Amino acid sequence: MQNILENLKEFWQFTGFANFEFGYLIMIIVGCLFIFLAIKFEWEPMLLVPIGFGILIGNIPLFAGLNVGVYEEGSVLNILYQGVQRGFYPPLIFLGIGAMTDFSALIANPKLLLIGAAAQFGIFGAYAISLALGFDAAQAGAIGIIGGADGPTAIFLSSRLAPNLMGAIAVSAYSYMALVPVIQPPIMRLLTTKKERLIRMKPPRPVSPTEKKLFPIIGFLLTAFIVPSGIPLLGMLFFGNLLKESGVTKRLANTASGPLVDIVTILIGVTVGASTQASQFLRWESVKIFIIGALSFVIATFAGVLFVKFFNLFLKEGNKINPLIGNAGVSAVPDAARVSNNVGLEYDPKNYLLMHAMGPNVAGVIGSAVAAGMLLGFLG
Amino acid sequence: MKHLKLFLAVVGLTLAFGAGAQSQDAMRLNEYLVVNTDDFQDDFGQQNAWFELFNSSYGTVDIGGCYLSDDANNLKKYAIPGGDLMTKVKPRQHVLFWADNQPYRGTFHVSFDLANAKEIILTKGDGKTIIDRIPVRHDLGDNISFGRAMDGEGSITGDGAGWQVMERTSPSTNNTLIDKAAKPDKMKAMDPYGWILALTAMSVVFLALILLYFIFKAIGNANIKAGKKRSAAVAGTDVKASQYGEVPGEVYAAIATAMHLYNEDSGTHDEESFVVTLHHTDRTYSPWSSKIYTLRETPQVSKRRR
Repeated sequence: MQNILENLKEFWQFTGFANFEFGYLIMIIVGCLFIFLAIKFEWEPMLLVPIGFGILIGNIPLFAGLNVGVYEEGSVLNILYQGVQRGFYPPLIFLGIGAMTDFSALIANPKLLLIGAAAQFGIFGAYAISLALGFDAAQAGAIGIIGGADGPTAIFLSSRLAPNLMGAIAVSAYSYMALVPVIQPPIMRLLTTKKERLIRMKPPRPVSPTEKKLFPIIGFLLTAFIVPSGIPLLGMLFFGNLLKESGVTKRLANTASGPLVDIVTILIGVTVGASTQASQFLRWESVKIFIIGALSFVIATFAGVLFVKFFNLFLKEGNKINPLIGNAGVSAVPDAARVSNNVGLEYDPKNYLLMHAMGPNVAGVIGSAVAAGMLLGFLG
Repeated sequence: MKHLKLFLAVVGLTLAFGAGAQSQDAMRLNEYLVVNTDDFQDDFGQQNAWFELFNSSYGTVDIGGCYLSDDANNLKKYAIPGGDLMTKVKPRQHVLFWADNQPYRGTFHVSFDLANAKEIILTKGDGKTIIDRIPVRHDLGDNISFGRAMDGEGSITGDGAGWQVMERTSPSTNNTLIDKAAKPDKMKAMDPYGWILALTAMSVVFLALILLYFIFKAIGNANIKAGKKRSAAVAGTDVKASQYGEVPGEVYAAIATAMHLYNEDSGTHDEESFVVTLHHTDRTYSPWSSKIYTLRETPQVSKRRR
């Protein structure tokens, strides 16, 4: 009997209850909140469900040496986490994004590329704020990339520049991407007049298959020559798009845009979530990162919309761009474009801006990958 | 517009040639050792005087065709052979030359030694323009080298500014050990508010996307012209370029919907309108998918408009 009691006592020490700390409870609540938001409001469910559950996995109190934690070398979770740590999940996701993305809107109206460039001010605004709040330059670069509104890019860059902040940065980036429909519309309304919101843009011209095939090749060569440090992201993005547009690799394109990207999304979501252990995550720095992340989205939206208004000064009547698509330059594909469309429909129920907004939206993906390459080149 | 394109082409070419011309200028004499008795050995197992060049740029530089000399009156004393892959120096990398007066031993063995040399001079391929020069000190002692305190930084006029007696020799490697955190720290010291990096990076992002804009604008225009020609050939009439591609989006949407209904969505009108047809659905048995084991279907949230 004595032995049984001792065994039970020893077993008790193994349990999560015995190792419980208040921080774990907070993180478990955060994880449950993510799952709730994803299921109830369908906010980025493909990401928030895996991340939310990953947070639960990562915040079961453990004692060291059990060799199951994400930070314990050789554990299953640690092996899966290598894809995040070493940065090979994000390029695989970019491969899938490339294979899913239709660049037609951008090719038909290439001046929309510039909106995608302007919105990257969010990244560098956040970088400057991070420096002012006392982060070092590498950390500031990693935090700044939240403004690129691109989860894989944020994970890729933070794994290189500030691995210790990666959990907070990734969760912040994905959270604000989910909150794009909440953050952006008030700024869009604030910066535009009713007349501007009613601008009807010309329908995009048909794009030939040759143009679609040339785009990934030329796009990659040009951007990679300018920013070689962005090759992992840009290369896979444009390669995936070529698989889609070439017309002869349908099976590969289907795999890249289907099973492959789904598998990597599950792995990246769960492991990023699991990496937010209370001891690593519940710090004053994380709070600052969340504040800066919100500001970066605000700055990017401001920059995108204001840039379109500025650009319109040089465009002839009839060629003007509806500034409501300026917000889409932040990436967050396709939610930001959907926001442009929905706000536009509020003022003119027949003014469908979705196709036009997809131009700056996918340009934002290219722009944020180029910006990430720049930050990596300067700070990595 | 034509003038703008011409201007951009000229600017582009100027920049391209300018960048090419500047690349060899980025090479620096970086470190040398006069008396080598117990230091680095060459590929013949011999210890001779050496000196090191450093590519201070962020692009690969081909030093083939440049000259090395120890005599200001004879700048072309040793011509670095061209067409050798080894003379393409990678960004921020070093290349080591042996001053053993035995040039037949290979590309990196020059035709002079440092025993009596007054200076080392690196000259461009034109044989006249001196890129960098440094006087040779003979008072250093055995196995003690003289080099730049920071790789590639300091004077190139031969006054020795930025050079120092090295604590240890560092042939083919950095003169100063680089702290991994040095780059971000340096960036923060140089740019405490982040504006310089922001402006630099935004310029590059804009440059990349502006170039893409010009390329695809040109390709698009060519495509429209080709379409116009094809249309004219088919219809036998001239079609204005501006008319091409201005079919309203609603037309495409209607065509696409009709094709979708016809080709894909046969379930909607499989027989005729207002007649419901029940199909038997074949399911291949598998214990992984069997409802006997899973009891119910995977829950599916109904689609809502957002």
